[in-house]
Amino acid sequence: MTRVPTFLLQVIASFLAGSCLAQASSSSGEEFSEELQIRPLRDGRVASTFSFRTFLHGATPRSPESLGSDDNSQHYHVFPLALGQILREYAVTELHLSMNAGKWNYDEWGYPGELGVATGAELWAWMGEGGISTVDERWAGLRNALSGLFCASLASMDEQRTTSPLMAFVPEGDLPNWPGPHLLRHASLPSEHVCTENLTPFLKLLPCKSLSGIASLLNPHRLFDADWHGMSVHVLWHANKGVEVGLSFQLVSDPLRQSSSKRRDWSFQSLFDRSIDNRCPVASSSTINVKLPTEEAYSLEPSPSSSDDGIGRYNLNVEGHLPSDIAMRWPSEFQYPLGSASVPLVPLALQRTLTGASQANGHLALRIQNRLNEELRVVYLETMPWLVQFYAHTLSATVDGRKHAGLISNVSYIPPLHHSRPTTFQAILTLPPKSTVALSMDVSKAFLRYTDHQPDAQRGWDLPSAIFVPLRNGSDRLDGHSLGQRIYTPTMLIDLATPDFSMPYNVIIFTCTVMAFIFGSVFNLLTRKFVVVHLDDQHKE
Amino acid sequence: MPLHEPSTIFFQFDNVRRTIIASYWIIIILALPLWWKTTSIERLSLPSSRVRNQASKELRLPVHIQLPGPYLDTTKRSQDQLAQTLSRQGVDVVFTGGHVEGSNPTYILKHGTNGLVLSDRELEYDFSDESKLSTILSELLCPPQQGHLVAPYSPRFRLSFTLLNEDSTSGNYVRSWDVSSGIRRYITPLLDQLSLLHNFTIESQVQYHAPLAFKPRPSRLSSEDLSVFVNSAEWSLSSSASNDPVLHFVGFIPSQPLEMPESFLLPQWGGIVVHDPPSLSVDDVFPIFARQLLSLLGVFPLPAGVKYTDDVPISRWQLEALLRQRTLENTHSSQDTLRSIVTLVDQIEGMPVGWNVKDDILDALNALDKVYASSSASLRETAKQSTNAIALASRAFFNPDMLALLYFPAEHKYAVYAPLFASAVIPVIAAAVRELLAWRRQRQRRQQT
Amino acid sequence: MSKLSSSLGFVVPAISTCKFLAYLTGIPDILIHDQQLISPLTSYFRLQEGLYLFQNGIDPYDGGSFHHSPLLLALFDTMIPTSRLVAYALWCLCDAFAALALVKIWRSRQRVAQSSRDALIASAYLLNPYLLLPSLALSTSTVDNALTLLSLSYACQGNASASLLLLALLVHMSPSSILILAPIILLLLSDPLSHLASPKLFPTGLDRAVPLLFTFIIYMGVLTVASCIAAGNLLWISRSWGSNLMLPDLTPNPGMWWYFFTEMFDHFRPFFLMVFSVHLLIYIAPICIKFQYDPLYAGFLLLGVLGTFKAYPTLADPGLFLSMIALFPEVYPYFRHPIVTALLHIHSALLLPLFNRLWLTQGTGNANFFYASTLVFACSNGAALIDCIWAGLRIAVGEAKEGDHVVQE
Repeated sequence: MTRVPTFLLQVIASFLAGSCLAQASSSSGEEFSEELQIRPLRDGRVASTFSFRTFLHGATPRSPESLGSDDNSQHYHVFPLALGQILREYAVTELHLSMNAGKWNYDEWGYPGELGVATGAELWAWMGEGGISTVDERWAGLRNALSGLFCASLASMDEQRTTSPLMAFVPEGDLPNWPGPHLLRHASLPSEHVCTENLTPFLKLLPCKSLSGIASLLNPHRLFDADWHGMSVHVLWHANKGVEVGLSFQLVSDPLRQSSSKRRDWSFQSLFDRSIDNRCPVASSSTINVKLPTEEAYSLEPSPSSSDDGIGRYNLNVEGHLPSDIAMRWPSEFQYPLGSASVPLVPLALQRTLTGASQANGHLALRIQNRLNEELRVVYLETMPWLVQFYAHTLSATVDGRKHAGLISNVSYIPPLHHSRPTTFQAILTLPPKSTVALSMDVSKAFLRYTDHQPDAQRGWDLPSAIFVPLRNGSDRLDGHSLGQRIYTPTMLIDLATPDFSMPYNVIIFTCTVMAFIFGSVFNLLTRKFVVVHLDDQHKE
Repeated sequence: MPLHEPSTIFFQFDNVRRTIIASYWIIIILALPLWWKTTSIERLSLPSSRVRNQASKELRLPVHIQLPGPYLDTTKRSQDQLAQTLSRQGVDVVFTGGHVEGSNPTYILKHGTNGLVLSDRELEYDFSDESKLSTILSELLCPPQQGHLVAPYSPRFRLSFTLLNEDSTSGNYVRSWDVSSGIRRYITPLLDQLSLLHNFTIESQVQYHAPLAFKPRPSRLSSEDLSVFVNSAEWSLSSSASNDPVLHFVGFIPSQPLEMPESFLLPQWGGIVVHDPPSLSVDDVFPIFARQLLSLLGVFPLPAGVKYTDDVPISRWQLEALLRQRTLENTHSSQDTLRSIVTLVDQIEGMPVGWNVKDDILDALNALDKVYASSSASLRETAKQSTNAIALASRAFFNPDMLALLYFPAEHKYAVYAPLFASAVIPVIAAAVRELLAWRRQRQRRQQT
Repeated sequence: MSKLSSSLGFVVPAISTCKFLAYLTGIPDILIHDQQLISPLTSYFRLQEGLYLFQNGIDPYDGGSFHHSPLLLALFDTMIPTSRLVAYALWCLCDAFAALALVKIWRSRQRVAQSSRDALIASAYLLNPYLLLPSLALSTSTVDNALTLLSLSYACQGNASASLLLLALLVHMSPSSILILAPIILLLLSDPLSHLASPKLFPTGLDRAVPLLFTFIIYMGVLTVASCIAAGNLLWISRSWGSNLMLPDLTPNPGMWWYFFTEMFDHFRPFFLMVFSVHLLIYIAPICIKFQYDPLYAGFLLLGVLGTFKAYPTLADPGLFLSMIALFPEVYPYFRHPIVTALLHIHSALLLPLFNRLWLTQGTGNANFFYASTLVFACSNGAALIDCIWAGLRIAVGEAKEGDHVVQE
């Protein structure tokens, strides 16, 4: 409450009399803050990141040991109850869910504000072991509950898609010191499409919904028209502070597409077709940060209340005018920056393809370019549904076309199991400075039963992104401090051979007939008597 | 190579041929159990006759009423009238002049002129006017049911308290409420008393934007408006975390004063208290919530004119009337559910019945037996067993394994089996039959010679 | 093999050398994934993958793709280097041994030390395209075939111990080969000479089979224990043996199982898996009873049944049956439709690779094309099997007079 601006306190105090003042203090355990970050990108697009954070001070995750007994009553003010219930019901310590549409262009857009930008849905959670139900049972329950909460098909992230990639995913918060160990569960669903029906429940988790504060800019019509958009939910526990829920929405919009004059000027009106008319009264802080261009002339209206480090800040909670619209303009037309001159925004350039014309076999080929002038070590994670079978013995690596040993180390490989377990392939790659490493591996594609195919079987199956995590210099341990920011490759589509779906009865009849014909002929040969027939007068001898 | 007479060749001998046919049959017969094992579904037999037997029973609960000696004989007419009324609802009334031995409690009527005063299991009544005796007792012992209002029985309820601000940006809003103390003071005492019937989980939240789904007209809200008051599309009240039924209690803070009843009940859903800012005190709101909770759970209000002064919020008369009502209801519906399961399983041949279903049904039957056994001895025990019975019976009824039914019509099965059996097995059968006939002919011939 | 006839001494090394040279031209890389030549159970590629996992501390049986015997794993892990060249040499050797074993069976059957047909018989094995191509694709069915023929050849010589040990090894690697256990035991109890023309009751009592069966069981037990030690757990049983019964991998092959179980209703899958497995077993007793006077012929016919109906066949399985026809020249005059059978085989041998390619690589055909050609292939194998049974029985009746015909009633 200390950060709540004075005017708000006056408002509250004016109608909270007597005992009600005591009530106000009971909400001090919760704190909500919101932030919008807008970043003009060098290809003329604009990236916006909405982040909403709720702190539940002093709270701890539910221990799985207590699952058998009744939970404590949960009383929340700004913390989303629907999410809180799920976290308590399945004793989840840390949770990350992202649902995105489109392909994040690292080369032009740099790192995203929120790291989880894999196409489709990605869910990972840390849960403590112990108590009456196993981690996998709770993981299944969690998937189903989130699926219901966000109207998404997360429930289909079953054991056929669930992995535990410990090298690339480390807890982002703290893990309580419980008797049982904490386990990681990770699943991705590249074919999930994000749409309005997912956004509506997302907005309901915000204390001010999309009716006041920064969230009022979240206009579905414009969000889903963007070149890239995605939402994410993060639940973390910080040992000294409490439970933090972060909800965020990112989008990349293209002002050039809407402009007739090759200008990349933008404003809230042009990006979202909305403006901020009211503050969210329960937000302890509410800020808009605009990344200011460094090399070109521009104008920003209204001017930010403060600016430092090339970022213009607007504080919506400061008494005075509420900037209902912010607009940025450039005096000249936009010139698309051409090629090599541009400075790389991320250290790696990635390319992943599945080659081979056959529907039975193929090659997985990766090209990883290290753009830095120094050697770089990265964690490489590949998770594949069991439809794709790796042949690890064919894994080979070349640097700029020459075979090179010792590039791949710390390989951890869990082969897939039909109808139950996906592949997990993790390794650490050492990338020499300013070079391109090519990896290749033979794969085979599964032949499925006709009931295993999706309704649109000819479309193929989406394969999840590979993940690369650069390691910070010199560290050998894998923990939150040594891992850099995750980079996702685009997803892939695999084409599997299909049987003829109209054939079940035909096949039963054909195959059985051929078998019965051979069986019957053999049976007759073995059991019937030979006789000599005189053909002239057709009687037996 | 010269021609041999076919019948002299070794492999043409009858016994070789018959051994071959027999060897085919041995393999086929050995494979029959495998056939059974690979195509059968687990379908345990259910105790159908026991279920039908049980379902035809009707539970009756006894109530003992002790009248002051002198009035035992003079109030015969009221006694008969009461016995008749209650008998229709499954309750047998016995009037006594003194204390009845046994654990089932006795209600004691006393003569008094202070009006109707309730305390513990006692009632003071002015016997000079007998006319109201049977009505009062019937309302206290078996109150009229408020069927549509009361939430259906569930062993667990989730109580969700929500403070809704219609629009917090309008200035008229309440930021927070002291929900814990409200619950502690007004709700927990009730829940403690009702814990025999239900378990409760409590949660609460505050929302700052909860628009109404309709435009409030300047005039009073009509009853239709009340029925659409809850804007479930915008208010995220329910959650998907558990399957327990939820009772909602909503404190609604309108952005501008609404002309409407301060509080109202939505049947089986919950209660709403509309409260105008600026102040919101839990002492204003939670007593209303408590009353609404009692109505929703079927605790009947005391008849008009009855005074009740004890410390515990729900009187014994009320609590035990509720127990009787829920016990009768649960027993009846668990009997119905069991009968439905048995009928369903009988009707649908392909429905699997696993051990868990069978065990649940047997346990439910045992619980029902205990209900009947304890009905004359202990109301609490009876009530407990009837909640057990309904929980087990519903669990059996909704067991997902029974839905794993593969609904293959018989034609489908024949269509799958026919191509193989028609063309492969028929020659084998024909050969066996032919050999058998030939063997019999041979034997007859041998006997004749 | 001390006294090879000069032509045999020339033919086998010459063909083997040519084959080794063919390996070096890169043909194996083209064929190594060919679905007609290798199945998931006999793929050298998967064997290498399993070996790689095994050597890197990952249990290959924990994954879903490795179905080979742990013995192969242990063998390649410890004794044989995994270089391709070594594999080429090994496969050439296997074929050479198999061809020589076939020649020895022939000699035993004819009761001669050597004959003019020796070289012909060896080339009937070595040059049979159904056997040559899988061998070039490094299919482990080459090893299975060599074990089959060696076991039969030892059985012909009456060497019970060696024969049963090799059979146990074979059954261990390819469980459906249990079909030839009965004929091999009968062969050990009698002689390999041709009695097709003069059927008679089995000469000795079957009680003498008991110790042989017992020996076989002991060998199997020892190999199973050895496998468990090599694999470190029991998972290999379901992955390696179980896959013959449960058909976990539906990769197309020239057999009859894969498409049937691709299209099967889930509810009936266990039932039909059972029917297909029992169907294989149902042939053992009738054929052995009928041909009790010539168990080698019974074994030959059961190999024909295997080539037609086993769970994961490759061309090598019917190929073995077809090459073994060379052993029985006495029945040739009695074939009913040899031309039709041969044409059917040529027909399906052309259709199979064509439609497989059209479906999976060109994308211009669909699964039914390849399924239809496997049906034709099954018909051609069935026709060959039926012809051989007919001829084997018919020879006993002898030549009919002019105008008379021998038929079955």
